[in-house]
Amino acid sequence: MNRKLASAGAIFACAAVAAGCGSSGGGSTGNTVAGVGSNAKTVTPDMAKNPKGNVTWCIGKDTTGAFSQVVKLYNQQNPNAHAKLLELPTSADAQRTQLVQREQAKSPECDILGMDVTWTAEFAAQGWLRDVTPAIEARKSEFIPSTLETATINGKDWAVPFNTNAGFLYYNSSKIKTPPKTWQQAYQMAKTDGGLGYQGARYEGLTVNFLELLYSNGGSVLSSDGKKATIDSPQAQQVLSFMQQGIKDGAVPKSNSTWMEEESRNAFQNGKVAMLRNWPYVYALAKQAGVKFGLEPLPKFGSGQAASILGGYNLGISTYSKNPGTALSFINFATGPAAQKKFFIKSSLPAVLTQTYNDADVKKAQPFAPQLLTAVQQGKSRPVSPVYPQISEAIYNNVYSALSSGTSPQTALKNAQNQINKALQTF
Amino acid sequence: MSTEAVAQERVGTGARVRARTGRRRPDWAGKLLLWLGVLVTIVFCLFPFYWMINTSLKTGGELSTGHLFPHNPSFDNYSSIFKNGDFTHALRTSAIVAGGSTIIALTIGSFAAYALARLRFKFKFLILAIILSTTTFPPIAIAAPLFKLWTDINLYNTYIGLILPFLTFVLPLTIYILTSFFQEIPKDLEEAALVDGATRFQAFRKVVIPLAAPGMVTAGLLAFIFAWNEFLLSITLTSSANRRPVSAAIAFFTGSQQFQIPLGTIAAATVVITVPLIVLVIIFQKRIVAGLTAGAVKG
Amino acid sequence: MSAAQATAARPRVRRRSEISERRLAAYLVSPSLVVIAAVAAFPIGYAIWLSLHQYSLIHPGLVRWVGLDNFRDALTSHAFWSATRVTFIFTAISVTLELVIGLAMALLMHAAFFGRSLLRAVVLVPWAVLTVGTAMMWRTIFDADLGFANQVLQALHLPGSHTVWLGQNGYAMAVLIFADVWKTAPFMALLLLAGLQVIPDDVYEAAKVDGATAWQRFMRITLPLLRPAILVALIFRTLDALRIFDLPFVLTQGSNGTTTLSLYSYQQLTQNRLIGPGSALAILTFIIVMIVSFLYIRLVGGNIRALAEET
Repeated sequence: MNRKLASAGAIFACAAVAAGCGSSGGGSTGNTVAGVGSNAKTVTPDMAKNPKGNVTWCIGKDTTGAFSQVVKLYNQQNPNAHAKLLELPTSADAQRTQLVQREQAKSPECDILGMDVTWTAEFAAQGWLRDVTPAIEARKSEFIPSTLETATINGKDWAVPFNTNAGFLYYNSSKIKTPPKTWQQAYQMAKTDGGLGYQGARYEGLTVNFLELLYSNGGSVLSSDGKKATIDSPQAQQVLSFMQQGIKDGAVPKSNSTWMEEESRNAFQNGKVAMLRNWPYVYALAKQAGVKFGLEPLPKFGSGQAASILGGYNLGISTYSKNPGTALSFINFATGPAAQKKFFIKSSLPAVLTQTYNDADVKKAQPFAPQLLTAVQQGKSRPVSPVYPQISEAIYNNVYSALSSGTSPQTALKNAQNQINKALQTF
Repeated sequence: MSTEAVAQERVGTGARVRARTGRRRPDWAGKLLLWLGVLVTIVFCLFPFYWMINTSLKTGGELSTGHLFPHNPSFDNYSSIFKNGDFTHALRTSAIVAGGSTIIALTIGSFAAYALARLRFKFKFLILAIILSTTTFPPIAIAAPLFKLWTDINLYNTYIGLILPFLTFVLPLTIYILTSFFQEIPKDLEEAALVDGATRFQAFRKVVIPLAAPGMVTAGLLAFIFAWNEFLLSITLTSSANRRPVSAAIAFFTGSQQFQIPLGTIAAATVVITVPLIVLVIIFQKRIVAGLTAGAVKG
Repeated sequence: MSAAQATAARPRVRRRSEISERRLAAYLVSPSLVVIAAVAAFPIGYAIWLSLHQYSLIHPGLVRWVGLDNFRDALTSHAFWSATRVTFIFTAISVTLELVIGLAMALLMHAAFFGRSLLRAVVLVPWAVLTVGTAMMWRTIFDADLGFANQVLQALHLPGSHTVWLGQNGYAMAVLIFADVWKTAPFMALLLLAGLQVIPDDVYEAAKVDGATAWQRFMRITLPLLRPAILVALIFRTLDALRIFDLPFVLTQGSNGTTTLSLYSYQQLTQNRLIGPGSALAILTFIIVMIVSFLYIRLVGGNIRALAEET
């Protein structure tokens, strides 16, 4: 009796806060990883006072020049410190390989590491990141809570959120008058009103799309302690059958299984599909192409809660950095209101601070900022684990097999479960 | 190729033409079939290359259409790949790595080829077998350990880190081709030089090398082309744009947007890389064919 | 043997030049052998060493000895045997097609008495063009929605104009084979053409006089005399096909039944950072290729010895 009341109270409290308190079993439960945190060095906020000396920021290609501008601003405001930008390749995999190589060689070259949210756990497990819990605690209220999840492992914070990303449902407003509220509705409308597309190729994007439906249906990938796979569940089978049926019915084109972000965007802009699930970057391009469209946060699966998967990057401080204090000072700057606003407006990199979304200039440049904020707040992160690449592979290989080759959902999910368990047992 | 075959080829064409037109009435159905076959062959071989040129002249939305001719041809793609430092770095890297491994292979390979072709010594068969067997190694078997080893000793993402593994296939290839070529050089010339009092090495330098020059060119060209085309080692052992050969760079070309795959620039880059190769191939086609078929006819 | 007897019978001068010949040979050959040992043999040895260990993904720097566990895991895994099957199917079909089409092209080029140089240059183009570049082009040509292939099918009112070429089992393999055949059939044609050109015309003339049909001439004269060239071409192409990596990597990343052995090993090694199991897979790939090449050499064996003993 007491327990029921307590959990009811918790749910009520969560609802009141209106943030994406992961419904039981959904989202990134299980940020518990063996071996993380034993000998880590901690960085405290006072270390960032009086920054001086050199620090290098290693992050992917600066396609719009915003990164360099922020570095210059920082250097102007902190005359005793000198920050430098080191651009990594554009592809996420190449960035990861370069950072891994440097950290494995214990190189002090990169003080600040720009990491995709899915690698943060891996880097923390390898002991390459410093513990920044005190620094986060000092600024916690600024950040959108869901963005902190990917950097929190074993109750400690290992990186500071830098930018985020959440999926949207774009819809062609000449064909779709009222956007769907549930995936079931969306697929139903797709059958008659022009089709729905997403990223169905055999890669990480498919994991993201699958999890968006799975989490909304209350399913999960890992148990709450992160030690077992829980993907073979009735919820998952329901979702996978649903996706399979969507292709059979023609709601989703068969060629969807070759689409990544760009192909699906082209299909939407060329009118091949009337609805599209994709990232915020499509907004500017579709507008440029003159497409009449609207966008809204993702639908929910049945009666569940809508769940968009969070993308984005975190900034961590290397264990081998010779200047962690200044590194923290720079990170605070790059994740501070002024810089976040610049990144959002100039580079379409969604900010991680709540206040940025309410800024008037931001709203003018990115009119969908309020919807994006909602999407991010409701966002769930992918399983946080040092073997995430293998977990993701297990998911996308088997989901792809079900959608493209007709494997039964039962078999596909059983295989995924076995493969994930095997990956978790990795030494 | 044996001397008779070479002679045959040079003589054969003319003789056969004379023989054919002299002896039979031209069979127009056969001729038509022949023309058709030639046409099909030409289209088959050249179409994808044409498609690449076609794509490289398209921009923007036209890239996702299947137009046979670009409606608004432009050289934008070409100018953008040269503006972007990555491509020129990749060209430089490829030149250094392919060129470096080819030069090293030609140098030490020619020594070994001479010995195999001319000198008598024990274990010749075994050595030749070992050398040839390395051409059958799957590159992943080399790339896997080197991926770890190079990271540990800091050769990852360096020129040397690529030149060395490239030698795995470039060196045996040059030895194989050069051995065949050396064998064709008549021994008498060398013997004559030896009789005149030259040492073996002088004979090698003054008689053999000039005669083997065409063979060296062939071997060098073939080795360079194979090295230029190499992909697996190139993507496994490098990570930064300024150390990536062109084959790897093209595979990872990115556009200005976050997820873009820039077909136009990829096509332009491939055309830029391929055209000099094709020119070389056309100029040296006789030699290349001779080199490639060195084993076949001997066979 | 007679050389040795002759050597023993000759004066000392002869023997000295023989010794210096062997020493010269040693000097000349050893740099190559050393390089090959360093860049080929050593990595293979190191790969075997790596495959006997496991490297922790969770505890940095931690290594443990697992003996043949990685191999056992690979040999009992569905993915490995699937990759092996895919590789062999690909090899069998593509090499056969390349041989047939290459032979047809070679016969054509042999019969064509005009523009030989042009034809030869044209035929070398597929081989000279960067593989990765053309793979990208094939990917766009076979794109399901806007690819040229489907557009042509649609224009000719042929069925299958909505085929998702690179996203369906069977079709993806077909595209892979097609791309490989395009690149190497011309190469085969050149090898076979060289063999064709050695066959003297008189043999054909004599057969014609005897009343043999074109088909009989082909089967009884051309093919048998072409056997050495065909065998050499087969060896090279088979071993190359077994190791194929760039085409599946660019075209499909291994989806829909196109994951070959090399691609599978690569993915385990670099994407999953499984150094131990990845190395074991690389070694298994190596062993498979070695077995096939050994079988071939058994069949063709005499030729290499002939090359060695020619001097």
